[in-house]
Amino acid sequence: MSNLLKGNFSTKKPVADISNEQETLEQRFEKEALKKLGGSIAFVAKQEVLWGDENTSQDDQ
Amino acid sequence: MAKILFINPVVREEDDPRHVPYGIALLAAIAMRDGHQVQVYDENAWRKGSEVLEQVFNADHWDVIALGGITTAYGSIKSIVKKARIICPHALIVLGGGVLTSLPREMMGFLPEVDVGVIGEGFITFPDILQKVDAQKADWQNIDGTISRTKNDGLVISSQRALLDELDSLPYPAWDLFPLEEVYFPNSQVLFSEEGMLAQRRLDINASYGCSLVCRYCYHLGIAGDMKYETDHHNELQVSFDQPGNYSRTIRYHSPEYIVGMVKHAHEKYNLDFIGFLDENLMTMDQYSKRTWLKEICRLWIENGLQPACIHDDIEHDENCKGIHWSGTSHATLCNPETLKIMREAGCSHLIYGYESFSPHVMKTIGKGATPKTNMRSFFWTLESGIRPIPNQIIGFPNEDFQAIYENMQAWKKLGIVVKPFFATPYPGSEWFTVYRQWIEEQYEGDLEKYILDLGDATRITAVISHNFNAVELLGLRDLMMNFDYKRIEEYEQYWRKNHNIPDGAPSTIFQAPVNNASQKTGNIRLANGTTGSR
Repeated sequence: MSNLLKGNFSTKKPVADISNEQETLEQRFEKEALKKLGGSIAFVAKQEVLWGDENTSQDDQ
Repeated sequence: MAKILFINPVVREEDDPRHVPYGIALLAAIAMRDGHQVQVYDENAWRKGSEVLEQVFNADHWDVIALGGITTAYGSIKSIVKKARIICPHALIVLGGGVLTSLPREMMGFLPEVDVGVIGEGFITFPDILQKVDAQKADWQNIDGTISRTKNDGLVISSQRALLDELDSLPYPAWDLFPLEEVYFPNSQVLFSEEGMLAQRRLDINASYGCSLVCRYCYHLGIAGDMKYETDHHNELQVSFDQPGNYSRTIRYHSPEYIVGMVKHAHEKYNLDFIGFLDENLMTMDQYSKRTWLKEICRLWIENGLQPACIHDDIEHDENCKGIHWSGTSHATLCNPETLKIMREAGCSHLIYGYESFSPHVMKTIGKGATPKTNMRSFFWTLESGIRPIPNQIIGFPNEDFQAIYENMQAWKKLGIVVKPFFATPYPGSEWFTVYRQWIEEQYEGDLEKYILDLGDATRITAVISHNFNAVELLGLRDLMMNFDYKRIEEYEQYWRKNHNIPDGAPSTIFQAPVNNASQKTGNIRLANGTTGSR
């Protein structure tokens, strides 16, 4: 049982620490880089990239 | 007894969670003192996402789901109450704090899931609500300090809740119910001073409530005697705050014995090395107490063995220092060298000063009760005492102009101030929100909720209340100021003067000085019809 809920009694059901939004290494990197953004600190937010036309297709990589 | 789930909503998502929510921690302690069953889910600390939140709602049969926070937590609150209503259809959802208090009717409209709102201080109102829950009654309108729904989808505001007189009757906050070891202690560092930077086990406390000053951009949200209940022309009760020429204040503070007793208790229990005083303005209390309050807190701090060893032994501070360093808020006009010296001796490491501006004509309009001269005086007094002054600055005040910009840059250079100023932001509950509301809403297509969702900690620009500069100009000018780029600012000033038909030598402003008559005053502010100034 996780300790996400804290109180003075036991709840009927436990709360499991199974975050469906677990931070990936990519997310962690982009969050940290965002905090220092400026000058040489620039990065590609990978989830925001619009792939689409022939010149930018992932298949062409 | 009622089974209560407190939820602390996410705030300042761009930063790590650093502060145990003091109000929720106090209300949780009060509820437990009264025998209720309490659980806390600190969503701001954990940030685990929607699946965990759903589990939390499903973990038990909750009688009450209680949440609150400042206005900038609104986005998170909105998503939490929507989910809460679906998963826990029978729970009473109670919302309090500044987010509700500043705009009670609007918030109850934006958030139809909320059953009862707590307006102003919740120390008595919230336990009264829990008593009704236990008694299976729902006549919330009979509890002072609430807003609730009528059977025909209307809203009813009950009588105003009186402020708690005996602050020392409050229990200590229920810090145990928050993830101290998991989240808060690892985020103890506060980059305001050397001692703050090395803090490893910090908690915050609130030693007082309110402030005697009437800063136009500040908000107190019903805990400082600033809130008034008025009947409008529809015969409906409305909650209002500071308005031009109409101010009221009640300041309250804990006894030095309560404060130091609480810190000692927390020190022994959690092995703290740093305390942040969250108070609006420590100096206003000290002055009200005839300069006895801070002196006595410091005396007891040392007497109870909380003085940091580095100060006691006159050696450089390091991570192994024993005792508790602390920080707080000060005021340029109300501080004095003697008190500052005593504070340093007891371990004060830094004091936050809202200097806001070093421009005399700007300072005259903001209600701060300070001048550039008192700003500078307090700056040197604080440095001389060994405490770091944190010189907060704001740009974008209604009468901010090029002269003010140059005066600020000159002061920063002279005082060695390195700063990225806040933007003047009219938060709900402040006088400038009331005065400029129409223009603020116009900047968000008439949608107040959009504005509230956009609000942050004023480091980012939101609604502009500057008569002279628009958002783009303020952003650019701030950047140039930080780089002391006089050349480009002067070039832009020439361009700006040309655009506004203001000749060289004339004041670089289209702001008209405020007048005392309220009906005249509306002609001098930026209204939706743009009667003065430019965008």
